Amino acid sequence: MTVQPATANLLAWLVMLPLAAAVLTMLLPLRLRAAASLVLLAPMTLLALMLGAALATHGPFVLALGGWATPLGIALQADGPAVGMTLLTVAISVPCAIHAAAYLRGHAEAEYFWALFWFLWASLNTIWMSTDIFNLYVGIELLGLAAVGLVALRGDAEALAAAMRYLLAALLGSLAYLIGVALLYGGHGSLSLAHLAQTDHAQATTAVALAAMSLGLALKTALFPLHAWLPPAHGGALTPVSALLSALVIKASFFIMLRLWFALAPPGLSTAATLLGLLGAFAVFWGGWKALRQSRLKHLVAYSTVAQIGYLFLFFPLAIGTGEAAARLAWDGTMLMLISHALAKAAMFLAAGNLILAIGSPRIADLAGIGRYRQFSLLSFGIAGVGIMGLPPSGGFGAKWLLMQSALAGGGWLWVAVLIGGGLLSAAYVFKVFRHAFIEGPKRDRFEDPPAALEITALVLALVSLMIGLAAHGPLTWLRLGTPFGVSE
Amino acid sequence: MSRLRLAAAATAALGFALALALAVIERPAAVLNLPALVEAEIAGAGALHPITAVLLDFRSFDTLLEVGVLLLAVIVAYALREAQPDGPDRMGLDTPLLRAVISLLLPLMLLVGAYVLWAGATRPGGAFQAGAILAASGLALRLAGLRVGGLDRAWRVHALLALGLAVFVAAAVLPALAGHAMLDHPATLAKTIVIVVEIALTVSIALGLLALFRLAPPQVDGPVFEDRRSKPRGGA
Repeated sequence: MTVQPATANLLAWLVMLPLAAAVLTMLLPLRLRAAASLVLLAPMTLLALMLGAALATHGPFVLALGGWATPLGIALQADGPAVGMTLLTVAISVPCAIHAAAYLRGHAEAEYFWALFWFLWASLNTIWMSTDIFNLYVGIELLGLAAVGLVALRGDAEALAAAMRYLLAALLGSLAYLIGVALLYGGHGSLSLAHLAQTDHAQATTAVALAAMSLGLALKTALFPLHAWLPPAHGGALTPVSALLSALVIKASFFIMLRLWFALAPPGLSTAATLLGLLGAFAVFWGGWKALRQSRLKHLVAYSTVAQIGYLFLFFPLAIGTGEAAARLAWDGTMLMLISHALAKAAMFLAAGNLILAIGSPRIADLAGIGRYRQFSLLSFGIAGVGIMGLPPSGGFGAKWLLMQSALAGGGWLWVAVLIGGGLLSAAYVFKVFRHAFIEGPKRDRFEDPPAALEITALVLALVSLMIGLAAHGPLTWLRLGTPFGVSE
Repeated sequence: MSRLRLAAAATAALGFALALALAVIERPAAVLNLPALVEAEIAGAGALHPITAVLLDFRSFDTLLEVGVLLLAVIVAYALREAQPDGPDRMGLDTPLLRAVISLLLPLMLLVGAYVLWAGATRPGGAFQAGAILAASGLALRLAGLRVGGLDRAWRVHALLALGLAVFVAAAVLPALAGHAMLDHPATLAKTIVIVVEIALTVSIALGLLALFRLAPPQVDGPVFEDRRSKPRGGA
């Protein structure tokens, strides 16, 4: 589909504007950085909405950057998944930025937060839109470095150790990915996903490249057993950083993996797909169990992310070698899982951060008595928990329902057991928080009062994660645009 | 236990190496020949040397993001460095001999840097190499304990660090404002724009490399010199 250059350029504006914002917020005086960032949220939102409207009007389209068509140049594409993720990024980043503007008032050490935030956004948008495997590599480099920098912002020994661990994992993942890029370019002479998709896939080179890249991306997504870097990084970061990392950053490497498997999967991959699914299943149970055993609130939420990542990887066994209907249900379920986990987990981290501000301690045991005094923070945490547990009417429920339908259609009973068992475990750790919060006792009756901006952003995200389950039909139809799962009903 | 881990790591590494060898040996003959395509299209690009043409025209979006990666690395270094207590400055061997050598070498280094930048249009060279040479000359100055006066103010350093990315982004969006695709420069202006972007990149790359060096945490072993860092923060 060809569109006007002005329309196609929307894709590139969504990368250039955050890059310009990063430069601006680096140079502005300290007191103006947050204000400038909040103002720039408006054009970012507008651009993403215009991109959504363009996709709805014209269908999928591409932008040949520099006027050079692929394979010589680099193209950005607006298909359903790319535009859907771009809009999701707006939906997460805007509340997180508003939260951060209020949260960071007491953190002088975080003076470079805003520059890193805008770099993070630019790299995410690049990853959602890019169609070039080397360009995607540059995207994950930018993303990884921004994310590591954000984790290190707190500056204490624990945060630095977590950031170092994260950096090493991210670098190793990038290298594994880069080896795959080199193999693919050496074997097929092209870096463009569209060109690579047309090559013969039944070759050792393609298979080894895909395996190396999948390994690197699984490490960056923190798939069990490569997850050890995640809990200290996500649990120990500043609250708005935790929310951004868990909601969006780990989704980016998973998203690249989906793109690669669509373009490059050789025939007869069911064994590899089952292996990924099994690792996902282990992640669901191990992450859930570890979450239950945590004594610190944000680390509980971080281990919950380890568990929820597992559901995303069920996509591979559910969609590969199971038939068209099951594959489409798996795609819909995985996309809805990705979206609702992003919203619910961002809300849960923000709410957890508010609870920690209220009790002045990171420990779950210190929540005792808060149920009577700070219901608002607890309410947001609870609504987000509904999405994480997968209770109706949340998006998490819809996602698990679709995945279960897919498993039943494809005859994968094991995956049904994983979905049900994982839900029970997540209920256990969410209720653990409430059990402590509702303890009545003589312990204390005074709690800090977090600023209203912190409470409202958490609640809004939680409510959106609840509502997305009721309005999922439209977005899911869109998300199929330009994918192998087609547009027809 | 550690022996078991070693054996497991060795097996995994061996398996990975074998898989890579298999992938390289079984490599199919590439259908596409990108270098030939570059040669065919280079007349319309902003530089005559294929590498510069790929970096600054055909795949300029990659380069733009890479410049972002360097700036981001410097920002993270600043963020980490300022979160930690300042150690004593262990740099600056203030000897007359070093000063004399550097006063002889510095003009030559600057000349070579400028030449490498200019040569990038027709032969190997360009902003990254020129920036590295400039960074080396800045490093030599610093080792001799000399300062570049204009760089004592933090905001000036920050502005020059960000210059490359800012100019590159501006050059990217200008065609979009004129109704073309992003980064699609008209053929008449392409060479000028490539040169302007390269010059800005050279400055930022040189200063970025120098800043990464300066922001490295102080070594625990090594000689101690007079503390020069307690003066204005952020100067390179």
